[in-house]
Amino acid sequence: MSPEIVLDVRGLTVEFPTRNGILTAVDNVSFSIAKGEILGVVGESGAGKSLTGAAIIGLLEPPGRVAKGEIRLKGERIDGLAGEALRRLRGRRVGMVFQDPLTSLNPLYTVGDQLIETISTHRPDLSASAARERALSLLIDVGIPAAKDRLFAYPHQFSGGMRQRVVIALALAAEPELVIADEPTTALDVSVQAQIIALLKRLCAERGTSVMLITHDMGVIAETCDRVAVLYAGRIVEIGPVADVIHRPCHPYTIGLMGAIPALDGEEDRLTQIPGSMPRLSAIPQGCAFHPRCARTSQTCIDERPLLTAAGSGSAACWHIDPALTGAGS
Amino acid sequence: MTSHALIRAEHLSKAFDVSKPWLERTLSGEGRRTLSAVSDVSFDIAAGETFALVGESGSGKSTIARLVVGLHAASGGRIVFDGLDIADPASARQFAAERRRIAMIFQDPYASLNPRWRIGDIIAEPLYAFDLVKNRDEAQARVDELLRLVKLDPLDGVKFPHEFSGGQRQRVAIARALASNPDVIVCDEPTSALDVSVQAQVLNLMRDLQDQFKLTYLLISHNLAVVRHMATRVGVLYLGRLVEVAPAKTLFANPRHPYTRMLLAAVPDLHLVGRARTAVQGEIANPIDLPPGCAFHPRCPLANGRCTSDIPQLISRDGADIACHAVEEGRE
Repeated sequence: MSPEIVLDVRGLTVEFPTRNGILTAVDNVSFSIAKGEILGVVGESGAGKSLTGAAIIGLLEPPGRVAKGEIRLKGERIDGLAGEALRRLRGRRVGMVFQDPLTSLNPLYTVGDQLIETISTHRPDLSASAARERALSLLIDVGIPAAKDRLFAYPHQFSGGMRQRVVIALALAAEPELVIADEPTTALDVSVQAQIIALLKRLCAERGTSVMLITHDMGVIAETCDRVAVLYAGRIVEIGPVADVIHRPCHPYTIGLMGAIPALDGEEDRLTQIPGSMPRLSAIPQGCAFHPRCARTSQTCIDERPLLTAAGSGSAACWHIDPALTGAGS
Repeated sequence: MTSHALIRAEHLSKAFDVSKPWLERTLSGEGRRTLSAVSDVSFDIAAGETFALVGESGSGKSTIARLVVGLHAASGGRIVFDGLDIADPASARQFAAERRRIAMIFQDPYASLNPRWRIGDIIAEPLYAFDLVKNRDEAQARVDELLRLVKLDPLDGVKFPHEFSGGQRQRVAIARALASNPDVIVCDEPTSALDVSVQAQVLNLMRDLQDQFKLTYLLISHNLAVVRHMATRVGVLYLGRLVEVAPAKTLFANPRHPYTRMLLAAVPDLHLVGRARTAVQGEIANPIDLPPGCAFHPRCPLANGRCTSDIPQLISRDGADIACHAVEEGRE
């Protein structure tokens, strides 16, 4: 019996028409998130991870557009929504946590006002005092000390970590089915980062909320997620259970990426390095986008684009996956 | 303290004036306010080693980097470079001649390279500034050599910074730092603006260059894994004070100060999938209004009455220097 699928993305393609032709920032990306699952989306800058999140919640900035593909939330198409339907989706059914907690809060309103506004917008059935009660209990839930007084405080009176807690409270205010967290801890110090990750994990587990966690930090992915999708040049190169992707990566890019991360207990003299850097959107190579940087490149890699195929316990998009790994699970 | 330290910081302090403007201050009857970014920090860096300073934001690590290269003047204490006090007017002339021996790499390669200058000119600037070349041809030859050293093409010299990726720009910054044949390179978060795969390239390059030219690094970073990979010795800063100084191996295997322990426990690590991290209590205090005594005491599980009143000094224990009353009294 498979668990209920909350988010299902099929063949998502995001394009930016420009004067010099169409740039494909997200290219044929498919994945799904089950109820209560935390899916990590990891990649280097320019891999298209934030755009994937933005496309799901309808925040693509024009001229960016979803050119192909389907996004379904509990079976219901949510790509191409507009106006009122989109407003009901955002916040109510899909919550969002952005990287910078200072710019995602309005500096002119108190934290309490912002929470109460969000709650009463999505839950018009609640009375003003009930909405206030809920706002207070949310602040207590996310661990703001002296929450009762802090309702009347402005965002600038909070520290970075406390602000991010408020943003998480806002994202969860309407009890959404899915939370998209785009680099939620990147702007924070490590000691605070640990608190925020633990908080996000606990709250979503309590509520059964699914999470799409977008980050460049493999360490955060390792300890938070159930499954992880690795993006490269707008494509998923590998997706699978987090322990397998980290310890037994199949795709050459994932292998290189894991070797490039210095370990805390490591005695390694040199880090694995991947030559070159991520291609620009205007110059994504033919065939496998990774072939110019890959040690295993053959003619097939240059000519033809690999599709995601079963590898290990997940899947990877590469022509040269060790045959021993494919179909190992079937 | 060893006698052959290349750089020695002695009781270094730096306070910034963060008072309101005079009129506002007078009207509201407030006094001057200072933020002490660095207080009473002493350390030695021996030739050829990599000394790393780690800490969270506001711990004063970048301020120390800037003090060492002379971008800030110290409010107290001094920095001795190869026996010369860099701020002492008496040795100013002598130090000017030695100035080329310290170079710096900054965090943000997008801000540290002049967008209107060609890469070749950026790298050649220290050559002219320190009178290291006699003519243009000599400068050109040296620039080509430097570009090759950092694994760029000499033909890249005519390009502008915007034509390069972040990792390539950081290589250009390294080439510029190497131009004057320095002994010491102060690296302020050299890879925090870079992606991991590019970070690995830059860290490997920095290590190769260190072996090749016997460089001494002062590495500033908030990334403990990078520090673990690069450093010989590590100093941990908390709110402007050194709380622990130890050889890297010792520090990571056996952290003694409660803050160092907390910091290490908080780092997300690849090899611990699904591990529940020790959630740390509280946040770093406001540096304008420091807690009395040990600045870490409000977050410290071992704090007692003495910690709230006396500032702990560094004491030696098993090859590490730790500033903690609990460690000193054996209350760990």
